[in-house]
Amino acid sequence: MTMTRRELLIAGAAVAAGVSVTTPFFRPRYRIHRRLRRSRVALLRLEDYSRPIDELLFHGLALFPIKVQAKTVLLKPNLVDYIPGNAINTDPRLVVAAAEAFRRLGARSVVAAEGPGHQRDTQLVLSESRYEQELRLHSIPFIDLNRDELLRVPMGASYTDLESLWLPRAVLGSSFIVSMPKVKAHHWSGVSLSMKNMFGVVPGNRYGWPKNILHWRGIHESILDVCATVPIHFVIADAVIAMEGNGPLNGRPRPLRTVVLADDPVAADATCARLMGFEPDRIPHLHEASHFLGNSSPDLIDQVGEVLRRPEVPFQVVPEFQHIRAI
Amino acid sequence: MVANIRKLFPLVGPLLTVIETGRVCPSAIRIPSSALDFSFPVYGCLTPRMRRRRTCPSGMSVENTRAEICQILIERQLPSGGWPALAPSPQTALEATAYSMLALGPEHEDEYGRALRCVLDCQNPNGSWPSFIGDDPEGAWTTALVLIALAENFKDVRRRHKGFQWLLQSAGKESSWLWRWKFRTTDRQVRFDSRKFGWPWQPDTNSWVVPTAFAILALDHLPPSWAKEHSGFRLQRGTEMLLDRVCPGGGWNAGNGVVYGTALAPHPDDTAVALLALKNRADESVAVGRSLEWLMDSALRISAPWSLAWSALALAAYGRCLNRLLSSLAEQVRAIDIPDTATLAVVALALDSERSLRLLRVKL
Repeated sequence: MTMTRRELLIAGAAVAAGVSVTTPFFRPRYRIHRRLRRSRVALLRLEDYSRPIDELLFHGLALFPIKVQAKTVLLKPNLVDYIPGNAINTDPRLVVAAAEAFRRLGARSVVAAEGPGHQRDTQLVLSESRYEQELRLHSIPFIDLNRDELLRVPMGASYTDLESLWLPRAVLGSSFIVSMPKVKAHHWSGVSLSMKNMFGVVPGNRYGWPKNILHWRGIHESILDVCATVPIHFVIADAVIAMEGNGPLNGRPRPLRTVVLADDPVAADATCARLMGFEPDRIPHLHEASHFLGNSSPDLIDQVGEVLRRPEVPFQVVPEFQHIRAI
Repeated sequence: MVANIRKLFPLVGPLLTVIETGRVCPSAIRIPSSALDFSFPVYGCLTPRMRRRRTCPSGMSVENTRAEICQILIERQLPSGGWPALAPSPQTALEATAYSMLALGPEHEDEYGRALRCVLDCQNPNGSWPSFIGDDPEGAWTTALVLIALAENFKDVRRRHKGFQWLLQSAGKESSWLWRWKFRTTDRQVRFDSRKFGWPWQPDTNSWVVPTAFAILALDHLPPSWAKEHSGFRLQRGTEMLLDRVCPGGGWNAGNGVVYGTALAPHPDDTAVALLALKNRADESVAVGRSLEWLMDSALRISAPWSLAWSALALAAYGRCLNRLLSSLAEQVRAIDIPDTATLAVVALALDSERSLRLLRVKL
């Protein structure tokens, strides 16, 4: 079979066009690579919040080779809204214990910071959820990330088509960011764990309440972009009383009696997902994050502390996320 | 004997002050500092001057509290002429600036003049206003607030017209048939009627309660010659949207009344802003009545000045009794440090509700 020069030119042009159209789909959409060779996760047993948390957390942190001396530590709890009886927010006693532990480890400063995504009145959420009282009592400053000074930051990944985000100076100026999620099932993203918790750094003053732009650009895509842009250095997840069902606000409380510590947000979230009876790889943002933000495979996670036990009955979820349950 | 009672029971003292003078002194009611350490600011950093101002003389009245807040606002004004969202940030935030301008008013000639220049200077080429100076130029929900704050002081007719034009063109994404169809067929977990749309926080997103309510209030500031033919349709749709998004038991939150079949709880501030917007056009609707009842019931339990101030303003608009609320508000604002400028300014507005409602063009 012979080919004329014209046919060769046409075939070449077709191949070039095909390559140029398909290449973007195969090219990684992240510009940073934060995956550790191995990650470490500790499961600490805590029956309820009235038990002494300070020592538990301090000794838990000693299981990790973290160095916070002279660092500015920002604790990012999950503080969304207050509904009596619902396990919506990270318990303030855990936040206080974390602050005390990092102070003992030599941190230059420790602040708590959050930009609630549903309730505009941050002061009201602080006061109703007993944060105000606990933080004052322990002299822990709080920064309202919905209203802090903003700086433009280029995105660390391009899962959404946002080129940059306006982010609070308090977050960008911190040298050690600790994501402190409440372990919850979530009706839009399947789970709300340490990575989803970072939606709280996106300022309401600029993006509104709720931060609707992140929903329009895709929740999983936005989680990946935000976490690629703002590094999570450590995770302390509140799974003492978690939430199943119609989270993040109206689910049912479900006790897991566990605090999860990790030096890798993906490993932390994958472990929490297993504790909830989910398959981490079926949660889109966790699956994708395991390529560049951390490890989700148990083979790459050193598990310390309590033994990870999957629940006999996985957490309830809304119908759209039934497939993430490991049954 | 009264002196002895005061000495023996320090917490009874403030109550006696109220009984004796008929006035509430917020500092007198504060919990003794030995019980809770209030010396550390929870909400970011405060200037030394603000810290000194935290103690107030006995018998401080609501009027004095308002005057003191206005003085703090004056001290917080940035060299740009605007105000920061949080003290001591140097970044001018348009929400805080708009409320501060309303709170101070043209009677504070110097400060108001500087603020006016600042706001006019940062109008975007498309007629809108940004969230803060330095923000992207596509415009934000703050445009409505700025148009309310400027009112007749916006002398440049062409630019004023451009601002209102932008506001009238800004709409929630569900205003397009394609998204409306999506919300009616596949995306049905949040209960709302997508035919009833209002205003978004920022372009290319859905309509939400607060930006819609402020846009409705802003359109009441349209000059009479432009008014009906340009804004009638949007005002009607916006009003319908607010009434559609009400929570089942009354009141509003950000804009999701029912999600996955579960009723979400209302928020006092969102409820109050929606009630203010509906006062001139739907004040006799069942939703408004139920929401008003909910707000009346909740207001005295509110433990934060922002929500309490908005509630006081809304209840004043509907002629509800205010005295206990105002005392509680003055007490709260004296007892804690408030680096949030918007909160301070809204408290000042609430403490002089008659004047504030006139500025907002809410008919009494």
